[in-house]
Amino acid sequence: MPGAALLHRPGASELRWAAVVLAAFGSLALLPLVVRRDDVLNFGVVFFLSVTLAQSWNLMAGYAGQVNLGHAAFFGLGALVTRALWIQGAPILPAMGVGAVVATVFGWLVGLPAFRLRGAYFAIGTLALAEILRITVGNSLPEISTLPAATIAGYSLTRRFYLTLVLAALAVATVAGTAASRVGLGMRAIREDEAAAEASGVGALRHKLLALSLSTLLAGLAGGAFAYYHISYYPQHPFGPQWTFDALLITFIGGAGTLHGPVLGALFYVFLKEYLAIRWVDLHLLIFGVLFVAIVLLLPGGLVEVFGRVRGRPRLTNP
Amino acid sequence: MALLEVEGLSRSFGGVSAVCDVSFAVEEGAIVGVMGPNGSGKTTLFNLITGALAPDAGRVRIEREDVTGLPPHRICAKGIARTFQLVHPFPGLTALENVLVGQLYGRRRLPLGRAVAEAERLLETAGLGGKGHLPAARLTVVDRKRLELARALATAPRVLLMDEFMAGLTPAEVGEAIALIRRLHGQGVTLVIVEHIVWALLDLSHRIVVLSAGEKIAEGAPAAVARDPTVMDVYLGTAAGA
Repeated sequence: MPGAALLHRPGASELRWAAVVLAAFGSLALLPLVVRRDDVLNFGVVFFLSVTLAQSWNLMAGYAGQVNLGHAAFFGLGALVTRALWIQGAPILPAMGVGAVVATVFGWLVGLPAFRLRGAYFAIGTLALAEILRITVGNSLPEISTLPAATIAGYSLTRRFYLTLVLAALAVATVAGTAASRVGLGMRAIREDEAAAEASGVGALRHKLLALSLSTLLAGLAGGAFAYYHISYYPQHPFGPQWTFDALLITFIGGAGTLHGPVLGALFYVFLKEYLAIRWVDLHLLIFGVLFVAIVLLLPGGLVEVFGRVRGRPRLTNP
Repeated sequence: MALLEVEGLSRSFGGVSAVCDVSFAVEEGAIVGVMGPNGSGKTTLFNLITGALAPDAGRVRIEREDVTGLPPHRICAKGIARTFQLVHPFPGLTALENVLVGQLYGRRRLPLGRAVAEAERLLETAGLGGKGHLPAARLTVVDRKRLELARALATAPRVLLMDEFMAGLTPAEVGEAIALIRRLHGQGVTLVIVEHIVWALLDLSHRIVVLSAGEKIAEGAPAAVARDPTVMDVYLGTAAGA
């Protein structure tokens, strides 16, 4: 049955979901034309940034099986470099490109040594990198970074909305494209059983580095968009651990190793966070902690598992 | 000409010699059986040949090409595949995807479209027809063994190393496994097999290599090895008063 073969080929589900998600993003592109409220557009920017950051974390952990506990390092580096270049007069897109490349280079600094070892070295290495960078940036750049008055005068929120929308679409397309390709299957094989993957011809180091490169590039771009979006913030802020844990929580809430999981997760998380933060301020962090534990214990496949169950197709969760 | 040559292979773990100066050769189209008591170094030998462990000394050559010390995925690409003693399927991947990994990354790297069609045929050969869409975690133990074999074959090996493929099978399933191995051999696959079921090993193999405490103590035709006093000594103990 050639039809069945096509249906079951790797990444078929991701490609179908990517079409749905990209169509939804396409219709969201009309939003600034109909709604002229800043709060709605701001919500959109936060949502798209969350999707980008969560998908970049998902590619690494959900597909290649490598848990990154310092994703904020790459988001922060993207923000730091992009902001510096852009304020000095560079156009925003090339500035974001440079920021993303710098983030990737730092990713290799951790990945090259850590991936030669098995175990938690990569998770520990990324966690350490993020904290070192956060403290270093905090000490060397203690002043708040504010855009020049001329830039603020010409600030366009709509432009930020479209930039982050395109970025989120790029992240979704990257994950779908990877999942449907040969290297995507190799990454998943490594996630499932590294020894068996190696014995079947999959070069683990090369695949992990590829996943890391794509992941850090996307995280760096998201950081660059953050630097372009925020009028003023402390330079160490985007290096904070909350960026890592936002990406991790969204991925797990939605469903790691799926394409639509992190998108649904981001929608759920961003809505809930706004709502809870207004009502209970700092208490919302505690609520998210409890939510995370509950999801891991009761619903290891994330929200998308619920839909799978409803449709009578129990999804197998990743160990 | 020997397809696979193992020469003076040694490896020790903290002073304990697991494999010591083992040499043998595998001719193209042969079935070579490796036997020996528990802990005699059979699995370590396989790990050394396939690159899962680096040898302290010795050489591994496939078609005269030295592959000693290469990482496992490079050795797989050179045409040495293996099945694991305890099956190692990719549990969260479907049976079809398990086989596809071998086809896309093995010695003969097929384009994705053709690989899917051929993977279905391989599943059929291994007795997994119609189960391609199931996650490997949901297959029975026997089916997982079949999948392990199908995945190894998907890498298009010149020589396939099978580590205790029959362990844990019922007598009826052992019969099926023997028939399957014969069928593979008939298709031109060169095999090196480690097996605890001695009669099956003697029955299948053209030549037997016997290991004891990491050293090769005998090599030869199955009938000759079965009569060898050193081998009988290792398996049955020294006769009283001898």
